Amino acid sequence: MPMATTVAANADQSLAYAKKRQLEQGFFKKGIAIALMSGIFYGLYSSLVVAAQTQGVWGDWAAVLPAGGFLLVFILPTIASAINDTISGIWALAVTAKQGKLGDFIATLGSKPGRIMIASAIIGGPIGSASYIIALSMAGIIVTPIAALCPAIGSIISSILYKQKMGPNVILGIPVCMFGSCLIGFTGLTGDMGSGVLPGICLALVSALSWGIEGCVAGYGTSMIDCQIGITIRQVTSGIVNLLCILPILSLVSGGGIAETYAFVAEAVTDAPSVIFFVLSGLFAYLSFQNWYRGNSMCGAALGMACNGTYAFFVPLFTWIIVGLVMGFDGYALPTVAWLAALIMVAGVTVIAVNPFALFKMENAA
Amino acid sequence: MKRPLNYALLKYFTTVDEASVDDVMAALEPEYAHHRAFSRPQMFEALMTAEKNCLIGESRFDLDPQGNVRIYYRASDEQKRTIDSYIK
Repeated sequence: MPMATTVAANADQSLAYAKKRQLEQGFFKKGIAIALMSGIFYGLYSSLVVAAQTQGVWGDWAAVLPAGGFLLVFILPTIASAINDTISGIWALAVTAKQGKLGDFIATLGSKPGRIMIASAIIGGPIGSASYIIALSMAGIIVTPIAALCPAIGSIISSILYKQKMGPNVILGIPVCMFGSCLIGFTGLTGDMGSGVLPGICLALVSALSWGIEGCVAGYGTSMIDCQIGITIRQVTSGIVNLLCILPILSLVSGGGIAETYAFVAEAVTDAPSVIFFVLSGLFAYLSFQNWYRGNSMCGAALGMACNGTYAFFVPLFTWIIVGLVMGFDGYALPTVAWLAALIMVAGVTVIAVNPFALFKMENAA
Repeated sequence: MKRPLNYALLKYFTTVDEASVDDVMAALEPEYAHHRAFSRPQMFEALMTAEKNCLIGESRFDLDPQGNVRIYYRASDEQKRTIDSYIK
């Protein structure tokens, strides 16, 4: 081969490599941005659910029902979660229809990845969330850092099931992120641990395991299923199971009547002042989980879940802004430690994403 | 019932040695041209996501006549078995 041709071929190869790197970096950065947005949307959705429960009939119930009673602690938060998820499912279905993907949605439901997505939605949605709500009631705020184990669990499961690599930076970065979440969780620790600490902690572990499984399984599923269809399956499943399975089970466990529970549901969904907030919270829940699944599939479960874990900061932040500052309720101010925890979480995410070990190696090689 | 677009994209790799995004689009165009997600950027993102999750792997890359990078992907026998086990 003449020398000029060889030089041109090498130049082409170098240019192709540079352009490929650029594409890959763009994809990676987009994945991180999407995963971080899931944390922000999660903060908005959670704070709007809290805000909804200060409005209309919810305010009346809080005033007349016995504090610490099963109804107030278990049934009403589950009703709020069920209404939010159902409205979120309606948002997801509407967007799916607008994008002309309803046919794909129905075809996916009957397929193996679709069934896996339904199972992971049940595990992460109703089971994970209900366990967390009950754990919080039984053991107090101490369960928050335990539930924050979910990114670590998700990373371990994804490295076993899907052969996603766990480098030393991931092993270091995840505990850093968890430490940040723990700091925020412990902010509310007052020494009052609640009566059922041990079963509460066990249930918090169930929720961490559930969310870990959901994060990695659904993230993998989204590499096969269009993420819009994946999230529609998730939200519709979660709404239906919460409304038709978890609520009756909790009602029976509490010794209360199922009819009474659904009377509360009927009252809640016809209460205009709170429904407006649920419509918005449902929209942000849809966006949050869509970005979570998509982010996990684009940058791997470890990094995706670490980015999403910043919700531990965004939930109190947006609750403070919306419920505290805008709506004027006391008791939602963000403590200084939360800002410190946010910086720690950013450091943890950076360690996972940037891999300082690889940078050191490159510098040494140079 | 027709396969969802993402399924068709992955299943295609069980039938060929390797393919770029343009090859995939050319093969799927008769059935999926009207699909909202049937655009080069979205199809390319779907391929990169599949690669990130080890459903397919990169085989080689070069520049196309317009000077754009062209990445070829392939599914190994194990990856083909994985795709076949999920998507019928």
